[in-house]
Amino acid sequence: MGRKKQRKSKKEKKEVNLKEKITEVLELPKEIVLNVPKLTIMGNRDIIIENYKGIVEYEESRVRINTAIGIIKITGSKLTIREITSEDIMVIGDIIALEFLR
Amino acid sequence: MLILRLWNYIRGYVIIIVKGYFLEKFINICTRRQILLWDIKMRGSGAMTLKISINGFKMLRPIARKTNCSVRIVQKKGLPFIFSRYKRRKAFVAGAVLFVFLLYVLTSFIWSVEITGNESIETGVIEKKLAENGVKAGKLKYNIDTDRVANSMMLAIDELRWISITIKGTKAKVQIAERVLPPELVPMDQPCNIVARRDGVVNSVVVKEGYAMVKPGDTVIKGQMLVSGSIPIKGEEERKRIVHAIASVEARTWYEESCEVKTKITEKKRTGNELEHTSIELFTKRIKLFPKKIEFDKYDKIETEKRVSLGGDLVLPFAIVTERFYETTEVVKELSLDEAKQLAADTAYQKALEKVPDGAKIVKPIAKFKEDENGNVTAHVTIECLEEIGIEEKIGGE
Repeated sequence: MGRKKQRKSKKEKKEVNLKEKITEVLELPKEIVLNVPKLTIMGNRDIIIENYKGIVEYEESRVRINTAIGIIKITGSKLTIREITSEDIMVIGDIIALEFLR
Repeated sequence: MLILRLWNYIRGYVIIIVKGYFLEKFINICTRRQILLWDIKMRGSGAMTLKISINGFKMLRPIARKTNCSVRIVQKKGLPFIFSRYKRRKAFVAGAVLFVFLLYVLTSFIWSVEITGNESIETGVIEKKLAENGVKAGKLKYNIDTDRVANSMMLAIDELRWISITIKGTKAKVQIAERVLPPELVPMDQPCNIVARRDGVVNSVVVKEGYAMVKPGDTVIKGQMLVSGSIPIKGEEERKRIVHAIASVEARTWYEESCEVKTKITEKKRTGNELEHTSIELFTKRIKLFPKKIEFDKYDKIETEKRVSLGGDLVLPFAIVTERFYETTEVVKELSLDEAKQLAADTAYQKALEKVPDGAKIVKPIAKFKEDENGNVTAHVTIECLEEIGIEEKIGGE
């Protein structure tokens, strides 16, 4: 079983690599083809995450957002969600740290 | 961002407070169902405020039930709510619409005509010609073709060199430049004499063309020939040279006037009582606001008018007219002899001065006084002038 799983993951890895190469060659927007989030951070005030999956936790000092590459954790103070749609989320406030959790 | 906020304001939105344990789940479901949320703020644990569009709010009920959250409206914002508030107040809305409509209608008329730049042409003449071409108070401004009006004005008034008509707001601004007319040519082929315009004593005669009939010191009467246009030729007494006489004949002339002054005069004096009437002038009609009866026997009336205008150029057809009435009484006043003489001489002089034609030089005024048994003073004022008395008269029949 263990072996099989390993193989499968290897296969997936190869596929990802192939996809990545194709997008790089064709200059396609990566966040759509590879299904990875696109983060735009302006100073330490606001952060826009495109192509996210959903909110896991939302508090004034901590926001955790689920994405395809794992959970993105934003810590800070006075965090508010400025705008939220099904494609992107904009968080503003005093951001202290940004972590990628797997 | 501003445009987005404005758009949200126009569409209308509500600020709601959501309470519950699974607020993240609530947000996630909302986004999945394409409901736009913004300005989400935590209010302690288990409560948050957020903004949501009206349509989104209508879809919220099943989500709230699913996530076990309670939703309460904090504030309604945006135009739809303002409109719904005024829906019942129909008269108010109608009034607002009527106001805008009236303002538009009233500003599409010309309410005043401003003429600048004229020196010798009278404003009244220009106004009359403008009115004939359709530029006057009360005309619809969209019907005025300013170029066409300017062209016809140029044709109508000879003295115009240039005219520009611009319509600014409700004011028609007319700018004018005047033409300097060429001097009149002396019609040398038209024979004439020079005769006296009025009685006087000749002071000097300067003849440029013609034959002088008078010399300085002669007394002339009105109509007397001063310079003849027919010049006798030496040796041939029968034939005469006929010319257009040109000469300047200066003569001393006198203008008399008398004035009687009573030493006892009645003078008007204000008692201090006064009354004020305010009325509104609409177009040309006057409406009295608070009519009060005037209980004064004799009074002075002073009227002041205040025109309503928006920003100088937009003159509206309204005016506030204030009439002030001052009660007066008559007070008998006795003048001293000197005062009476002075007053009589002054009034007589003023009256005589009106008779003196333009261009006459005043040499000296002479005043004589007479008193009668009633104490009245009569002043006779004679003004001596030096003036040009020659006037052309055609030689008829030749």
